[in-house]
Amino acid sequence: MEASESNNPNPNPIRNSLASSVPLWPTIDGPLGLSEEESVSYARRFYNFGFALLPLLWAVNCFYFWPVLRHSHSFPRIRPYVLGSAVGFAVFATLLSSWALTFAIGGERLFGPVWDQLVMYNLADRLGLTGWS
Amino acid sequence: MAQTQTQTQTQRPCSSILDSLGEEIVRIIAPVSICMFLVVILVSVLNTKSPFDPSMASIVTIAYTETTSDSTWDKFLGALLNSLAFVVVVTVVTFVLVLLFYFRCTRFLKLYMAFSAFVVLGFLGGEVSLFLIQHFSTPLDCITFSLVLCNFAVVGVLAVFMSKMAIFVTQGYLVVIGMLVAYWFTMLPEWTTWAMLVAMALYDLAAVLLPIGPLRLLVELAISRDEEIPALVYEARPVNHGNLSPRDVVQRRLWRDRQRRHENSILQTDYSNTNANSVENASSNPNLNDNSNTSSGSYSYRNLVSVEEGRARVQETDSDLSAPLIDRGMNVQLGRVEDATSSENLLLEGIGLGSSGAIKLGLGDFIFYSVLVGRAAMYDFMTVYACYLAIIAGLGITLMLLALYQKALPALPVSIALGVLFYFLTRLLLEVFVVQCSLNLLLF
Repeated sequence: MEASESNNPNPNPIRNSLASSVPLWPTIDGPLGLSEEESVSYARRFYNFGFALLPLLWAVNCFYFWPVLRHSHSFPRIRPYVLGSAVGFAVFATLLSSWALTFAIGGERLFGPVWDQLVMYNLADRLGLTGWS
Repeated sequence: MAQTQTQTQTQRPCSSILDSLGEEIVRIIAPVSICMFLVVILVSVLNTKSPFDPSMASIVTIAYTETTSDSTWDKFLGALLNSLAFVVVVTVVTFVLVLLFYFRCTRFLKLYMAFSAFVVLGFLGGEVSLFLIQHFSTPLDCITFSLVLCNFAVVGVLAVFMSKMAIFVTQGYLVVIGMLVAYWFTMLPEWTTWAMLVAMALYDLAAVLLPIGPLRLLVELAISRDEEIPALVYEARPVNHGNLSPRDVVQRRLWRDRQRRHENSILQTDYSNTNANSVENASSNPNLNDNSNTSSGSYSYRNLVSVEEGRARVQETDSDLSAPLIDRGMNVQLGRVEDATSSENLLLEGIGLGSSGAIKLGLGDFIFYSVLVGRAAMYDFMTVYACYLAIIAGLGITLMLLALYQKALPALPVSIALGVLFYFLTRLLLEVFVVQCSLNLLLF
């Protein structure tokens, strides 16, 4: 107990091994964030709400609990949710970006006249979305 | 053992006041600067057409709608009337907010403010992004757009009101909300904007410092009840003074949590014993978990970094609540903790004093600073630089006054006064000088 705080000449190895294997706080905010008990419920809630077409919530979940993702053997209760969020976000992001890129690059050649109806600036003009403020 | 502990602490010199004070100031100036910068970019990119859209009818132009054919005196009078009407609306709404807070309708307030944040992020954010899409002609389809916007708005509302989230995300969303509202305000006619800025600065001064001022009532109510103020407030991260490891922060936090439960001094000595022994925090961890599980009051240390909820706003008018600058001193130097008298610190805590605290700045201040700089950007970048420096100087002065007087202060008056002064001085005097120098290839 006292050895960890006394002036031993080489305190670093002990600290390093401790720090890398067992991070104390599951959130990226460290001591300002949540404790482990609360983190479980938060991670679960974010994971479940993300299914309501909210991939950004999954991304925020991964960002918030980044220490859980990084240290693979810590916080066994939180890890499944964060991992699920990461996987879900990756899948959703690839789907969405592939669709958006196809739409943008393919353009009218690929879609025909539908493209003009789907593109946002035409839609904004037609519906007068930018006229009010 | 206690001796070696104190020895190690004194061997590491305490970080100078410049480090800690500078860090705190930077942590509040950085987001203000980012917000202003974003608004300037938006204004300079999007406002190539005439800045005033006659179709914009809102409560701000209720008294007078400026047209370019009016004489100067008419414009001036009209602007005064507009700003007066705006201040009256803001005062009424703030009093309603104080009344609701007094009757403890916090749930309603929270819901209303979540709804207004959703409107800002969803509708204003959507509109600004549509402007950008139209300007740059990006081939984005409506499905992607609506999905991304919906995500953005919902996660924003969750981050700011409903749930505890990463501090960075919450702060980022607050800055974005400030930026969107400020951009909307820059679309007002020019005279009205300047008159409104001056009027809001005067209102802020009155509302925070006068005894009957609504903001002062709100702050006093919140302090007396030991609750959080229902307003959109940006809170900087508390500064971790120099030689405190995160473990010490844990223990310090533990001490604060305990103190809030008014436990007797036996626990204080308990804590100082554990501190002196520098035992691994295995012992303090279960205590922390216990404390976190109890729900005694909403006022744990962690709430300090969660953003407060709600904000009085009337839709379309954005009669913003310029919540005052409050220094909630929650961090206590570790040295002080060891010989702390609990009652003295309780009192200090109650009025929001302390050695250092997480500085809170109301979102209304962000918005009006950004409106000033955005309006300056509509003229030229020279005025932008001058006004930015003036506002930052004003903010620095306000922070110094805050450290001096140690109570809630209005953050608008000094900065707006300096900003307006510098804008007109630059426009009248500096511009001529700079242009002539440039034309004659003398300088710049």
